[in-house]
Amino acid sequence: MIALRHHLTLAVQGLKRNRVQAMLAMLGMMIGVGALVTSLALGQGAKEALDEQLRAAGANLLLVTAGNYKPNTEQYLNMDATGHGIGWLDLPQSLPDLVPGIRSDDAIARMESVAFSAEEATPYVLSMDELPTLPAVYRANARDKMFRQIHFEDDPMAVHKHPTAAQRLGDAAAGLGSAATLTREDAREIARIPGVQYVVSGVHENQRLHVQDSDAVWFTRLHGTEADLPEIRSGWTFPHGRFLSEAEVEDGAQVAVLGKVVADKLFGKDVNPVGETVVLWNQPFTVIGVVGSRSWAAQPTPGDDQFDAFYVPVTAIHKLLNLSKLNSIAVTTVSVDQTTQVSKAITELLRKRHEIGDAMPDDFKVESVAQQVLGKGLAPSVARVVSGNMRSVDKMTVANLSNSLKRTNRTIVALLAGVATVSLLVGGVGVMNLLLLSVTQRTREVGLRMALGAKPGDIAGQFLFEAILLSLIGGVAGIALGIAASGSLQRLFQWSAVISPLAAFIALVVAVVLGAVFGVYPALRASHLNPIEALHYD
Amino acid sequence: MPVISLKDIKKIYTLGDNEVHALRGISLDIEAGEFVSIVGPSGSGKSTMMHILGCLDRPTSGQYCLDDKDVSSLSGDELADIRNKRIGFVFQGFNLLPRTTAAENVEIPLLYSRPVMGATERHERAMKALEVVGLGDRAEHGSNQLSGGQQQRVAIARALVNTPSLILADEPTGNLDTKTSIDVMHVLQDLRERLGITIVLITHEPEIAAYGTRIITVRDGAILSDEANVPHEGLAEPVAAQMLG
Repeated sequence: MIALRHHLTLAVQGLKRNRVQAMLAMLGMMIGVGALVTSLALGQGAKEALDEQLRAAGANLLLVTAGNYKPNTEQYLNMDATGHGIGWLDLPQSLPDLVPGIRSDDAIARMESVAFSAEEATPYVLSMDELPTLPAVYRANARDKMFRQIHFEDDPMAVHKHPTAAQRLGDAAAGLGSAATLTREDAREIARIPGVQYVVSGVHENQRLHVQDSDAVWFTRLHGTEADLPEIRSGWTFPHGRFLSEAEVEDGAQVAVLGKVVADKLFGKDVNPVGETVVLWNQPFTVIGVVGSRSWAAQPTPGDDQFDAFYVPVTAIHKLLNLSKLNSIAVTTVSVDQTTQVSKAITELLRKRHEIGDAMPDDFKVESVAQQVLGKGLAPSVARVVSGNMRSVDKMTVANLSNSLKRTNRTIVALLAGVATVSLLVGGVGVMNLLLLSVTQRTREVGLRMALGAKPGDIAGQFLFEAILLSLIGGVAGIALGIAASGSLQRLFQWSAVISPLAAFIALVVAVVLGAVFGVYPALRASHLNPIEALHYD
Repeated sequence: MPVISLKDIKKIYTLGDNEVHALRGISLDIEAGEFVSIVGPSGSGKSTMMHILGCLDRPTSGQYCLDDKDVSSLSGDELADIRNKRIGFVFQGFNLLPRTTAAENVEIPLLYSRPVMGATERHERAMKALEVVGLGDRAEHGSNQLSGGQQQRVAIARALVNTPSLILADEPTGNLDTKTSIDVMHVLQDLRERLGITIVLITHEPEIAAYGTRIITVRDGAILSDEANVPHEGLAEPVAAQMLG
């Protein structure tokens, strides 16, 4: 220990006497370590941003939406032939094709009153004698307890004339779309499926929101939701207040959480609106919080669905509008791998609950958000690049999308680390160069020290410790530089940079080891000097 | 018992095919408390002798006993210890480290002493040595802030600091003017008289050699003459009083 301090004393003295060169060598080391720290920070940042985006994009998120707009006219027409079900078409002229001799209006009216008995293979017809003459149309469904209307909507905004239209018109009038078939009871059942983590019911609509006793008004997105929503939206923060509580959702309390954009528009930028009252449907809602984004990738912008929006208990909407339907049920799975399995289970469950016969298509849609993104957001060419050499983008699952993104990320990090390693090596060579120069310049000093009793080991130790000390100080300065650099990159270019203490420590250790390695040669050279020649060296 | 005992010391350098006989069998004893001046023109072998006496170099043959210990066959590390403990060097060029205080310069030999010495003790001993050469008040001055004579006195303090048996002064006045030279010689004389330190002085100037109690003349690698001398007192004011007072 004392010997260590002795070497340290000598090294500190040596560096003090050669300040300028020492500073230059430290600078080299500092830049090297700074580059390493920065690249590690950028790599880590990219990784976290990627994870965050995957989570934000819903790697484990399934969205159950009411209605199923996919089947089209042709599918309907094929249905009879393949025995896949019976359906309804809002094209009056197509019925006569199927049912010769019956006018479409009549058919509509009559078919709405058709029911099937559970036991019988033949349909029980309430008021129409003509209908049994259409066995091909409904025979396939005779196994089902009930004849269920399925409306195939090419246009979700279309107004329908079938028996459930009244309900749907109610929903539609409330702005809940024309085909809200999901209920909170469905949501509760979904929550029982193994592998499901969170289940959040949702009602979504565009609404005008204004501040009580004020002119401030903003046309934005209304989300009726539940207390667990922030658990699904991992990138959320609450600059003011909090999100809805379980109790508020239970009671249908008239409270609202404003998206950052809405809060800024209604109350002014960064003003805390908690405690203020906003008005929706002429009903007062107390503001209890503001939601913002933690992620650089999803900054609140006007028109987005998360922050140009406000959140109220779904139960409050149901209470005020006397409704029970939902537009969506958001479901997260415990792990990303379970999405497919859970999605199947939800489909089975809802088909059973909605009493949809085998031959009929779903009246809901289960999609992973990543699928939506892939389907809409990413151009297939881009998706193909992201997914590497996968055969088909359509077959891409969330899991392999995530893997391929991680691979891409690893490549980037490796590249950055490579660049940083080169700059560190340059820093190390700089240290070696300084020390070699220093050995030459200080030959007389080395000779003197030897004459005064320094052993070769003392001399080597001094130079080695100088190298280590240089690298250490340069390394610490480099960490500071790296922190500053990644901070600036983050501010200037919105690059994501995360400095982990471990990365900083590793960079420092690498610097010191490099310094020591590059210090060995100059140190040995100094210790091998002949004291007589060194003393007379000019 | 002599401090230094040389027996038939030979040193042969090989330069290409040529052999240069720097020392051709030197034998001499130096007793404790002697002030020996070794004189000779350049090329006479006095520098080689100095290097061998200072344990910076090994003789090709012969035996060198320092304090009754045969040092001619010691390893490099052992020689370093001998230089550190037993020998104090004073060089022509002072060889003080730049951008370093007088005290720090004096401390250098202590840094290499084993067992390792604490910083406080090092400083105390350096201060004591500086006081001996009359520079106690200049301890914290940078070496480049001192005059030539002061610098050489710092160098002498450095040679003294580890209480050696022998001080080897290699042309200590070579870079100094006459008056300062006399000052420095008085310091050396004083060390011998007051502290009983054996001094070996190497010079080519007879006037400087005259400060010794014994003058050995070397020529062509051999001793030409070896005679006792009544030390020259010089003209300058004795500095010993102010130094040791």
